[in-house]
Amino acid sequence: MRLIIIIWEALFGELKAVENLFEVRWHGRGGQGAWTASELLARAAIYDGKHVQSFPEFGPERMGAPVTAFTRISTKPIRMHCSVYEPDAVAVLDATLLKTVPVTEGLNKKGVIVINSKESPADVRKMLKEDTGRVWVVPATEIAIKFLGTPMTSTAMLGALARVTGIVGLESIKKAVEERFKRSDIVDKNFAVIKETYEKVCSE
Amino acid sequence: MKPKEKSWKEISIAAVCWKPSTETLTGDWKTYMPVRDLEKCTRCLLCVLFCPDGAIHWKPEKGDIEFDYNFCKGCGICANECPTKAIEMKLV
Repeated sequence: MRLIIIIWEALFGELKAVENLFEVRWHGRGGQGAWTASELLARAAIYDGKHVQSFPEFGPERMGAPVTAFTRISTKPIRMHCSVYEPDAVAVLDATLLKTVPVTEGLNKKGVIVINSKESPADVRKMLKEDTGRVWVVPATEIAIKFLGTPMTSTAMLGALARVTGIVGLESIKKAVEERFKRSDIVDKNFAVIKETYEKVCSE
Repeated sequence: MKPKEKSWKEISIAAVCWKPSTETLTGDWKTYMPVRDLEKCTRCLLCVLFCPDGAIHWKPEKGDIEFDYNFCKGCGICANECPTKAIEMKLV
């Protein structure tokens, strides 16, 4: 009897740990802040009492080259240290990446994909190669230029992703942004961007 | 998963680039694009010299310049250097 309980716990305890794991992949271009966005999400999740990992993956290190960043959030300490292959959510910081990078790779069917684009979700869906995940669209570049003056879409996409997945609250994002950017005027501008995208993100 | 990558036997010797960079369009991700005001432009060709990507071409048969938007990265150097401010950076 005792043995059965031990085996049961070993099997389903592990499964539960897998269920609690939430993985995000960020696609961006060098200089847009894909890494910063993944770090901000991780910091925000720490304020929600979660265990996190955040790490980038570069190709050529220069402006405009495609960059991937990953965030792993779990309610338990994370023992996995590998790259993210099957994300639950994908954020695309630049719509032109859809032509060159396989953004839907490994995304599970219940997953979400948040894309920075001016077009409607149905039009963006046609540009994707695979038919997995639910597509959400937000005009992040316009919003970023409106508030920040530069086309840096990191915080804009963070706001959209927080709304879509609900993995972190706005309060903890604000704390994370304050901790990361420090200067109060930059914090205010970036939080205005986050609030705007949080409201404007729309689905198909 | 990822498409299978080429083995060392299939790639060119010493991994020398076998495709010219003109085949890969490097300017499709720009946020701003330069738009020229034809009346203000004096054809001084400073923008042709300053363009870091060689994306502005002088066409002698037309007597005019031409932007190659396939390779323009939208850096805005041409608009900054233009003495008559004939080039304006517009959102794509």
